[in-house]
Amino acid sequence: MAASTVDGEVEVFTLPFKKSRNLKLRSVWGMGKELYMFQSQIPHKEREESQRSSSESKIFDVQWNAEMHDIARKLVNETHNIFVILQGQVKSLSQSILYSQLRKASKQYRAVLKACSMELMQIADSCTDESKKLKYEEHIQEFEMVQLIWSLCEILFIDVAPGGLVLTSLLDWLQWHFQEGKQLATKVIHSDQPCEHPQYWEAIYRLLLQGDTENVRKLLALNVYSHSDSFIAADEVLKKMPRWTYQHAQSVAEYEMKWRHWREECVRRYEAAQFAAYPELETIVQVLCGDEAVFKDLKDCCETWYHLLVSKLLYQNPTCRIQDLTYEIKPCQAVYSNSSPQIQELDNILQAALEFDLHQVIKDSCTFLSNRSWWFVSHLADILHHCGQLDPQELPFGSNLREYLLLEYATSLMAHKSLYQVGIDYLDFCPVFGRSYIEAYVERIPLETERKAHKILHICLERDLLVQAQSICKVMGMKCLKQERFGSALSWFLKSKDATVIKQVTDRFLNEYCEEGKFSHLDLIDHLGPSMLITNSLTFLAKYREFHTFYNNGDVKGAVNLLLSLISSRLAPKFFWMTMLMDALPLLNLPEVVFNVSQTYELLHCLEELQRDGTSNYKNLKETEIEKLKLLRIALTRNLANAILQERSVRTVSIS
Amino acid sequence: MLLSITVLFRILSWLKTSLFLQDKYWCHFYIMFVAKSISSEHKDIIHDVSFDYHGTRMATCSSDHTVKVWDLEKGEWHCTASWKTHSGSVWRVTWAHPDFGQVLATCSFDRTAAVWEELSGDVGTKGGSSSNTWIKRTSLVDSRTSVTDVGFAPKHLGLQLATCSEDGIVRIYEAVDVMNLSNWQLQYEFNCNFKLSCLSWNTSRMHPPMIAVGSDEPSPAAGGKVQIYEYSETNRKWQKVEIIYTVTDPVHDVRFAPNMGRSYHLLAIASNDLVILTLKNLRKEGGNAGGPSRFEIRQTGSFDDHQSVVWRVSWNITGTILASSGDDGAVRLWKANYLDSWKCIAVLQSETYASDIEKTAFLAPSIASTPTPGSYR
Repeated sequence: MAASTVDGEVEVFTLPFKKSRNLKLRSVWGMGKELYMFQSQIPHKEREESQRSSSESKIFDVQWNAEMHDIARKLVNETHNIFVILQGQVKSLSQSILYSQLRKASKQYRAVLKACSMELMQIADSCTDESKKLKYEEHIQEFEMVQLIWSLCEILFIDVAPGGLVLTSLLDWLQWHFQEGKQLATKVIHSDQPCEHPQYWEAIYRLLLQGDTENVRKLLALNVYSHSDSFIAADEVLKKMPRWTYQHAQSVAEYEMKWRHWREECVRRYEAAQFAAYPELETIVQVLCGDEAVFKDLKDCCETWYHLLVSKLLYQNPTCRIQDLTYEIKPCQAVYSNSSPQIQELDNILQAALEFDLHQVIKDSCTFLSNRSWWFVSHLADILHHCGQLDPQELPFGSNLREYLLLEYATSLMAHKSLYQVGIDYLDFCPVFGRSYIEAYVERIPLETERKAHKILHICLERDLLVQAQSICKVMGMKCLKQERFGSALSWFLKSKDATVIKQVTDRFLNEYCEEGKFSHLDLIDHLGPSMLITNSLTFLAKYREFHTFYNNGDVKGAVNLLLSLISSRLAPKFFWMTMLMDALPLLNLPEVVFNVSQTYELLHCLEELQRDGTSNYKNLKETEIEKLKLLRIALTRNLANAILQERSVRTVSIS
Repeated sequence: MLLSITVLFRILSWLKTSLFLQDKYWCHFYIMFVAKSISSEHKDIIHDVSFDYHGTRMATCSSDHTVKVWDLEKGEWHCTASWKTHSGSVWRVTWAHPDFGQVLATCSFDRTAAVWEELSGDVGTKGGSSSNTWIKRTSLVDSRTSVTDVGFAPKHLGLQLATCSEDGIVRIYEAVDVMNLSNWQLQYEFNCNFKLSCLSWNTSRMHPPMIAVGSDEPSPAAGGKVQIYEYSETNRKWQKVEIIYTVTDPVHDVRFAPNMGRSYHLLAIASNDLVILTLKNLRKEGGNAGGPSRFEIRQTGSFDDHQSVVWRVSWNITGTILASSGDDGAVRLWKANYLDSWKCIAVLQSETYASDIEKTAFLAPSIASTPTPGSYR
């Protein structure tokens, strides 16, 4: 879609309402591939009441390409693994080992593609809903085409045959993607009278054009005349046809010589009219001889120009090099020019590949095949990039072609509600923009559940995205705070280490304690650990809780010291002072004197300060509390007296 | 509150080409567009729709003085709050970053802007049907004319809100305490000396705070209709750094694209044409506190496809696709290829030729399947 070279290829989509003069469409982006459109009056003008539009405004939620990744879920997930492993290998392996890994990865991608395509075929076969079936079939078509292009690119750019002899690979390519001949042959063999089958000869021609001489011979053997001289002669030449394989230690020159000898024999036998009795056999031998005219006659058995191209090369120039392919394109296309006047996109892509114009292949594939998914172009470009086939230079958008395509693919994954983790893995391998994209997206993934939030937090921490991690914790904390789940709120805020919001929660805790006399999240407060140092309010909360523990354990001395230091540090919010003073009350009423003189003065000082500036609070106190305050004052005075007595008595004793 | 969402139709938009493969069948490829219609329940036209950061909440504002908030539940939008916000048309509504809680800002013809916060509702007790309460935290009343746009600053600048009004003044407010949104202080104001229609913050973290404003003043004599301001740390004030002289027609919308690590800023301008500008900082980002930034401004695209006025522009999350809407009643999507050349990739439009009868017939099946009030789909 992006790299379209042809102008005027613009999608047009019509919404179900009428254009009006006053109301115009406006749009806002939603998440991913989603637009919200609404009608609005423009420009900004306050109108009279009477002018109000009678019908209420509608909003249109327009989404596109939403379903591809659901259908091809398996493709996305399995190729994701291949991709990630490959990127690791790119970093760690030496050049020569890497190439073999790249070839392997390319084949793995194709295997997954094939598996998905077959799975889809099964689904489509069992599907009863016509419209759905049609949709599946469209996808299958697309998958098949992608495979066709990919395997050709693999032959030409990734798994390049040594010496540049491509024909063997191209034949494999044909046999893999054009199975009509084989299917036909099976049908013929299984019929009652094979040689009487109307498509008997067609099957033979098709197989022959793919170089499948074995099966051609099998079919010929089924003919009733198979014992005639002509048939035996034909069988002989077919059997003798030399094959090029790199496994056998055979030089190109040697093979070329063998082949020339064989062809001369074919021509000789043909000219000697050994096959003249059977015109079909003559056609076969003409093909073997590489006769130009016979290929034209058999063009229907080839179906496409690229099939014809390979077939012709097989019998005319079997040792052709990869660079020679270009010259064969035009004549082969010319053969078909009458039947299909317009040159098709797929043809264009294959042609560009055969002409070694890799950028054109990618460009056209973008335009033609990326409407539903950028899967194909992005993965192919990645492999080609690592093979050194793509220009690594920086393009005007800021990085190279590989990154552009990977970003597109990852973006489409991020727009999907459950494939974001896969998308992020792809973004990890985009050196220039990847990080910014991840930053932008992690803040926008909806945090519906705590689990998902933890997952995304983990993603951030793994990548050292501290700002985003903090934001996630804060968002979750605010959510909990709004729902009055203070414990969860605090634990999220602790992760975000944000003092202002933490104070908000600790104040709520203290408030709650003032009102109910107990803390609701003891475990959390007890296990604050070093995080209590984040902010004063948290330190206070933890220390105050520690005071409770001392008190409950009967450690009066510890409790007294801690309480006093808490009061004198003035860490607590004013509203909590009263509570702390009240906490001192039972300690004051202990039979022994636990507060010495200066400590008692400290408490009195605090009480005075509270009464002095907190009068408004003080007035609102309930009667019971005023009563308590009175009690506190009495207790303090009595303690002071006792403490003075005690301290003096001690001194007296020491003097005496 | 009920919202009947009906899947009105699915359209296979015909794509470019048909393909001849394997001699057997022709096949066509489509981009699939699916449209859902949401009845907005606004009694007058909508002026703005805005999404929160996660795309699961939507706010709409209208000439009927109200704002509505919608929540996405199980793929359907439900209106969870609707309240009267202003005593005039509400022009814009926008969400603050969720770090600050659930906060909205609105601006209106009634010369005010307002900040709203959602109260903690009884979540979970009544499920989605509960109506949430939004309360007004503050009313920003400094403007003497209609406030035409509001925008929260990017999060790294704290909780700041910029407003612009017809009298040409941009005001920047800041929340004194992010936990108490009732206290906002007017931190800065500057006069742009023309009627303002829109503003946009630059979201780049690498650049000093930056705002673009646009004017819909009709007279071309006023010169360039887009100005760019930047906050100078040394002078502690906002300074004008650029005027876009090439845009002299009235401007209705300006939007900075999310920066995404680009080496330049992207600005979309809705005027008589759609204009896309790149601003490349001539000095290194970040450092150098002295003096205002200088930019190399390049017009990467100027399109008259709408054949008339362009009203709105909107960027996707990554700033790679731009949606523009114009007087021709269509919304166009624009995308840059790797050579950074912008092209229209899709057009979404209202039907022009269908008569009312045809339209009724077209919609009839789906109307029949519309749920009756009181039921959820």
